[in-house]
Amino acid sequence: MTFDWSVIWTHRQALLEGAALTVGLTVLTMLLAVPGGIALALMRLSPNRLLQSASLGFVEFFRNLPLILVIYWAFYVMPMAFDVQFSPITTALVALVLNIAAYNAETFRAGINSIRKGQMEAALAMGMSRRQAMFKVVIPQAARRILPVIASTWISLFKDTSLVSVIAVGELAYTSMQIRAQTFRVLEMLTAMAAIYWLMGYPQAKLVDWIHRKYGVKE
Amino acid sequence: MNASTPNASLAPARKNADQPPVLVYENVRKLYGDFVALRGVSLQVHKGEVMCLIGPSGSGKSTLLRCTNALESIDGGRVLVDGVPLPTQESQVRKVRQRMGMVFQSFELFPHKSALDNVAMGPVTVLGMPEDKARARAMVLLEKVGLANKAGNFPANLSGGQQQRVAIARALAMEPEVMLFDEPTSALDPETVGEVLTVMQKLAQEGMTMIVVTHEMGFARRVADWVVVFEAGAIIEQGPPQQIFENPTVERTRDFLGHLGWNG
Repeated sequence: MTFDWSVIWTHRQALLEGAALTVGLTVLTMLLAVPGGIALALMRLSPNRLLQSASLGFVEFFRNLPLILVIYWAFYVMPMAFDVQFSPITTALVALVLNIAAYNAETFRAGINSIRKGQMEAALAMGMSRRQAMFKVVIPQAARRILPVIASTWISLFKDTSLVSVIAVGELAYTSMQIRAQTFRVLEMLTAMAAIYWLMGYPQAKLVDWIHRKYGVKE
Repeated sequence: MNASTPNASLAPARKNADQPPVLVYENVRKLYGDFVALRGVSLQVHKGEVMCLIGPSGSGKSTLLRCTNALESIDGGRVLVDGVPLPTQESQVRKVRQRMGMVFQSFELFPHKSALDNVAMGPVTVLGMPEDKARARAMVLLEKVGLANKAGNFPANLSGGQQQRVAIARALAMEPEVMLFDEPTSALDPETVGEVLTVMQKLAQEGMTMIVVTHEMGFARRVADWVVVFEAGAIIEQGPPQQIFENPTVERTRDFLGHLGWNG
């Protein structure tokens, strides 16, 4: 059996663009899913029963469905159900944000609950509103405490973006598979794909380790 | 006034007793489920008075303090601040809280802010004061509690006593009319209790109206103008410190003080 590794070099442009889209999807998803997660966590912690149930329902729904199913659902069902038509990339983004926001909501809720009650009371006793106390005192401390968890979610998300290849979003996995299909260079392309994911993922994982050491709860 | 009002000929008159009281508690009741934390407490605090609340743990002292700035809601009776009942609407409650500084047993400094920013934060966030002005004033307050040289430190790098002094400065930054102290030295190492009490005594001498929940009988004896003894959610005796500590009229006050090893 002969190998032809030149196929990677020949398609370097497409692979780079795929890798860039993978990174872009990860960043955009997080940029939306962090505020989304905070909003859901605050709804869950609010005294309003309706908001509580809405948040709980959302979180438990999306947290307990396979991501790939949510992606298919967003692609096939959402256009019919809600009469909206998005591009595959936007559809992918919607599915990823729904899933990651649900995870982030639980993370933020746990983080906020881990800040002792006295901190909120000290802020209220000064005359701050609940909202000010939450955003100036509780959430900044909670954010620091949950940073390691968010970083781990980030790493999972980075790899899970490959699932959106099933709806033909041209990120790294989809692009690699396309080249494989055109060139029949299965082993070379799978190897190249693995190498690129690993080379991008490893530094991020190391960064997460560092964040764990620096910000992890030591009490 | 309770039956324990002292005989005018024996005790000095209560401070500013001729003016309307700053705080009035009228038959205040507080329940936690089935547990009755306050069973109809009535009390008055006058301007410039240092009032110490003493009594066994769980007797309702801290609960009464926390009802004063509506950190706890009450289930009966009234709390009046300058003659006006505590409001229920949040925006109005905030206005009242701004006029009362509170110091907690566990300090509750904000760990993500420096000592200086802890003190400056209230005026900036609540009063909308410009940051540089708030910082300059915070510095003056840190100087007052003897911690100007620790302004840049984060709470984790301060001793318990230092943290509590910063917490006092933080409460003072809102220029409160009344200071509420909830067992301010109970969580401290014995060697740092003194530095906090000294700051509080200085504040008392400047004429600050103070309500202090404390187990420091020496402080109560020395600094308080009026001492209130709690037991099981009720006031069992109140009076000037010399009466409470030297001539308690109620048997259970004697028992409580004796239990602490207080012998006059």
